[in-house]
Amino acid sequence: MIPDAVALQTTGAIARLLINGLQAGAIYILLAVGLSIILGTLKFVNFAHGALYIIGAYLGLIIAQDPSFGGKLAEWGFGDIGLGFGYLAALVVVPLVVFVIGVLMERFVARPFYDRPDTDQILLTYGIALILTELFRVLFGGASRSIDQPPWARGSATGVPVLGDALTALGINAVSTWRIVIILLTAVLVGIVFVLIEYTDFGLTVRAGTVDAEMVELLGVKLSRPYLVVFGIGAALAGVAGLVGGPLVNFNPDYGATILVPAFLTVVVGGVGSIRGAVIAGLSFGLIQAGLVQFGFSEWAQVGIYAVAAVVLLVRPQGLLGQEVAA
Amino acid sequence: MSDETRRADDTGTVDETGTGLAGGDLLTRWRSVKERESFVILGTVVAVLLFPYLFARAPVVSEILQGYQSLAELMLIWGIFVIGFDLLHGYTGLLSFGHAAFWGGGAYAAGVFAIHVSGSPIAMILVGTTFAVLLAWVLGFLSLRRGGIYFAILTLAFAQMLFYVALQPLSNLTGGDNGLGIGGSTIEPLLGFIPLDAGVPVITMFVDTWMYMLIGIAMVVTVAFAYRVLNSPYGMVFRAIRENEQRAEFVGLNVWRYKLMSFVLSGAIAGLAGSLFAIQQARVPVESLFWTTSGEVVIMSVIGGVGSLFGGPIGAALYLYISNIVQGMSEVVLFTQIDKLFPGAQAVVLPEWASPAPYWHLILGLLFVLVVVFIPRGGIWGGLQSIGSRIGSRFGGDR
Repeated sequence: MIPDAVALQTTGAIARLLINGLQAGAIYILLAVGLSIILGTLKFVNFAHGALYIIGAYLGLIIAQDPSFGGKLAEWGFGDIGLGFGYLAALVVVPLVVFVIGVLMERFVARPFYDRPDTDQILLTYGIALILTELFRVLFGGASRSIDQPPWARGSATGVPVLGDALTALGINAVSTWRIVIILLTAVLVGIVFVLIEYTDFGLTVRAGTVDAEMVELLGVKLSRPYLVVFGIGAALAGVAGLVGGPLVNFNPDYGATILVPAFLTVVVGGVGSIRGAVIAGLSFGLIQAGLVQFGFSEWAQVGIYAVAAVVLLVRPQGLLGQEVAA
Repeated sequence: MSDETRRADDTGTVDETGTGLAGGDLLTRWRSVKERESFVILGTVVAVLLFPYLFARAPVVSEILQGYQSLAELMLIWGIFVIGFDLLHGYTGLLSFGHAAFWGGGAYAAGVFAIHVSGSPIAMILVGTTFAVLLAWVLGFLSLRRGGIYFAILTLAFAQMLFYVALQPLSNLTGGDNGLGIGGSTIEPLLGFIPLDAGVPVITMFVDTWMYMLIGIAMVVTVAFAYRVLNSPYGMVFRAIRENEQRAEFVGLNVWRYKLMSFVLSGAIAGLAGSLFAIQQARVPVESLFWTTSGEVVIMSVIGGVGSLFGGPIGAALYLYISNIVQGMSEVVLFTQIDKLFPGAQAVVLPEWASPAPYWHLILGLLFVLVVVFIPRGGIWGGLQSIGSRIGSRFGGDR
């Protein structure tokens, strides 16, 4: 009896570590997959990706709830622009809107800069990120906010019918349903993008364009439209990351700058352009972070992922699943 | 690029004076003089001496600008930082997003040394700079394995790692989230007998305190050092790498070593600036390691002009001016200033909604994007130079 209880406790600890790690990794993965396909196919560095996360988070807040904002909006009498349509509505609208924002960014920001040096792209998108951040601060105020967890995902997952039984069998007594939702949602979204890129004609065009854009165009395939879509998808994933991360981590306009760095690191460690690589790197980062927290080294949690990244890049400068030779 | 055109000018004038055509042409003589090392250094000395007076104390000018002494000091410190950054980005062509590591690292090293060992400003500067050099060696070794955008991302990531190290695991040493309070009393007088807040004899009106003197000397030394390095054959290799790395490699140069040295030199200057920042502020905020600090130096450098020694400090001054003065501008201040300029009839009073104060960061962001889109290599310094050469060509004929 007693060994059983110990075993149950151990599996419980492992399962908890897995769930926390997967959830922390999910946000990195959502951001990194978007960054990675944009960087891999369009060869465009987007330092404004963190700003897209912020757009997703604020947009989600406005659609799902009735928040009251400070900032200029309040001064102009629009402090209560919340719609209160609920979280599911936000989950539908946010990706669509951020997709459109991404398409516009490709057309009006990225495309004129394809022929400019890489460093100019970095500078430009960094400037745009600054402007977006400041616009948000001016409009909504600088206060930290969070999105409420939707009622159906509140509380512990052990109460959920089938899932709850499975968790109890594993020895987990309490795990927030929200974490499970994030993990499942990320898996579904990344799966869709993966299938789209790897197994459809659209994906074939995109991958061919990655290898040799000039040849593809010579063969009579127009690449500008797939590029628009790829940028849009990458942006939409970042928007969703903001929406699902909103209930877990407080955000303010500056949070985009904070989240951008680990997202970039995930891309570089995973290997640019590789969705699999981004997932593996994101999961490892999540697990390392969750593990350090669980075993009492929470103050090293952030440092841990950078240290691991440094080691990986020393051994494999092109990243775990990166194809290209180190530049 | 600006440095190339300047060189072309230089050789041109030598030809002209050589053939004796120029004679007493002042403009030609000016052109040949302004490229001399001694002139550049002398010009820096004069500018450093006059700047705080014009900015903070001169009648009319300083009142319009609303400048003050400590802001002038900050501008010089950040100016040194930008020169260091530009050595790497503008001359060697490597865009680093991790220079906060050397700035903050130097500041923390200087601060920790002051608290635990000695508060001598000279020693603090030496310790901070040395620490930054060692740090740059390690980070450069790691980051330079990749070029272009990956270099930018790697420097960003490693600098961010240092931020988190300082924030939590080392918070006993660094003060964590609150930053490191050094305290003005911990910092000893210069050379043991000159208090930093004492006035400098004879030229008090110009430079005010020894604190500014210290920073000003550091600026002059930095400019002299950077000018000497960049105009030496060694510094020429930096530019060769920027223009075409592959070709530099084929010529037989060890590109990796030059890149690493450029990174270390750049980090050293950033560390010097960081140490001065610690001395001037008597504290080190933890944000000085955060990557937005790296972003700030990038903005200053690009606005001022990439690849020009003096563009950087101008960009730094403009950035700090907008972030400190515009931020505090209210309608009343604008009103009184306009009133001073045009006495008599009443000037326009800006309504509250038109006050630029809440938008200072937005103004900077827009300015930055405009420079990146339209004049990515020139910046303000490039603009000044082209105006100068236009005036020159008008008065000086075809040359």
